[in-house]
Amino acid sequence: MKNVLVCRGITKSYGSGNLVEQVLKRVDLEFSQGEASVLVGPSGSGKTTLLSILGCLLEPSSGELLVENSAVNFSDKSSLTEVRRQKLGFIFQQAQLLPFLTIDDNLSVVGRNAGMEQTDIDQRVNKLLDRLQLQPLRHKYPTQLSGGQRQRVAIARALLHRPSIVLADEPTAALDWNTGKTVVELLLEQARIENAVLVVVTHDTRMLPLFDRILSIADGLLVERQQTAATENTFYTETNLDHPPGL
Amino acid sequence: MLLYNRSRFAMTILGISLAYFLAAAQVGLLVGWIHTNSAIINHAGVDIWVMSKGTRTLDYGTAIPRQRIQQTLSVPGVKWAEGMLVGWVNWQHPEGKRITVEVIGLDNGNAGGPWRMSEGDISAVHLPETVIVDELSRQALGIIELGQETEMEGKRVIIGGFSQGVRTFTAAPFVFTSIENALDYVPYYRDDEISFVLVNCENAAEVKSVRDRIAMEINDVEVLTTEEFADRSVKYWMLETGVGITVIITASLGLLVGVVIMSQTLFSITQDHINNYATLLALGFHQKSLRSIILTQSLILGGGGITIGSLLFVISCQLTALSPIPLETTPLVSTCLTLFSMLFCVAGSWFSIRAVFKLDPVSVFH
Ligand SMILES: Nc1ncnc2c1ncn2[C@@H]1O[C@H](COP(=O)(O)OP(=O)(O)O)[C@@H](O)[C@H]1O
Ligand SMILES: [Mg+2]
Repeated sequence: MKNVLVCRGITKSYGSGNLVEQVLKRVDLEFSQGEASVLVGPSGSGKTTLLSILGCLLEPSSGELLVENSAVNFSDKSSLTEVRRQKLGFIFQQAQLLPFLTIDDNLSVVGRNAGMEQTDIDQRVNKLLDRLQLQPLRHKYPTQLSGGQRQRVAIARALLHRPSIVLADEPTAALDWNTGKTVVELLLEQARIENAVLVVVTHDTRMLPLFDRILSIADGLLVERQQTAATENTFYTETNLDHPPGL
Repeated sequence: MLLYNRSRFAMTILGISLAYFLAAAQVGLLVGWIHTNSAIINHAGVDIWVMSKGTRTLDYGTAIPRQRIQQTLSVPGVKWAEGMLVGWVNWQHPEGKRITVEVIGLDNGNAGGPWRMSEGDISAVHLPETVIVDELSRQALGIIELGQETEMEGKRVIIGGFSQGVRTFTAAPFVFTSIENALDYVPYYRDDEISFVLVNCENAAEVKSVRDRIAMEINDVEVLTTEEFADRSVKYWMLETGVGITVIITASLGLLVGVVIMSQTLFSITQDHINNYATLLALGFHQKSLRSIILTQSLILGGGGITIGSLLFVISCQLTALSPIPLETTPLVSTCLTLFSMLFCVAGSWFSIRAVFKLDPVSVFH
């Protein structure tokens, strides 16, 4: 499916009166199935803000968000919850697993919440634990795992209910380079297997070559750098998405 | 949700049970005190009390002519009637000091007398110069054994028995004897006077009409059912004396502190997990799922705590049953207390749920 996730003219300002801070000036974006994008930008540039809007967690000041071709109604809290429950998977900086549940239960609780059949949940949990090499850890509690292992569980949790969109905000910030790279590679691989739109925020430019698209944000404007296979990792052409070429 | 942390769970249950116990104990003291106030009236086993007009409590009964007993007996519907005398006199403590005691003079049927004896027999009150005192006032009266002698109002008394569980909430212990003996000690009664006429009716269903009939036929007296008289006594001691008001205030504060601790405990346990709730909200859990998680949790913790607290309270009631300050309760009081406590537990969780729902789900990204 094309255009799983579409932003049209999205802006976001914080504060009011003289203290208005426009964080996103105008964002137009389209993501198609299976596409993996990385979102980069200086600290405070609005990456989390954009990701929160994409994740139906934060209402934009103006503009429209379409998930699988239907506009998201930001004023209806329970429909937002419904979109998150069915269509979205999240990975946070800290894994944010529930400390009182085993790895197994941390996963299946999401399946139950999404209304999946128990047999389906069991198969799905099994499959993801296999693919993320978490089988030996399934009966442990989150505190018994390392940071990298916890993020692998978070990946499984984000994918469990077969969301069409997976969003990750600095999922490697708390990990060392090698562990972080492994986590991102796993995340990319799994999202591709699931054919989900993946948007990852990261600080680490060394990760960029792994993604299909590179989105860069600065001064409230989003710019896409073209990743060219030949010059991967060294050369980017920039296109301002506010004024796409050919329009 | 928090069952995973056993020690935290245990501490929470313990905290709630102690808070409940605190509230229950304070209320139990009040109930015990109220029962003490009206114990002699309620244990007398009679239907109606005849007294001089405006008598506020058993302890302040004043003289009415003895003839009122006969007059009462002639009222249709009255099966049985006898007298009782209440007076305040000096008791000579064997160690030299004098204390005030409340003398209860009993008629032939011993109505209004002690309801449980630990030593001797109640009929001893009809022996000359003989009295019965309570186990609980042995020390106050300086009494060690049966047959011991001392003086009341300057005249000899002999201890003829010990009763059990007749508490006083004034500083003055009760001393039981016969009306005849009492008249020798209480200086301000003439020989043909008593304080109360105690009445039993032929038909228990007619108590109120018999009461009205007695009131019509006998002038200058007030006639109350046992229930009315007990009520009046309790109200007098509770609402018109400093002691009663202190007991009420202490009980209310204890209750308030107890339930506030309970609701605060349940509030803070949810607050401790607020990050997890934020995560669940972000992951698309509906508010109603979280609400039921949090409410279930508070019912488990609140219910468990209250159960254990009640057990502690029941044990304390038994341990204090024979002490001067008993903890007591009634089914109604226990039910209200439990419901009230549950209400505050749920209120605590309800406020914490509101705090959870005010959370910005975006906060999970920070
Ligand atoms: N809830 C908020 N209220 C006011 N300002 C905010 C809020 N959240 C973020 N901001 C501001 O918006 C800007 C972008 O924040 P954020 O999206 O978190 O940036 P990034 O994730 O790129 O570091 C920052 O200047 C920040 O101070
Ligand atoms: Mg950020």
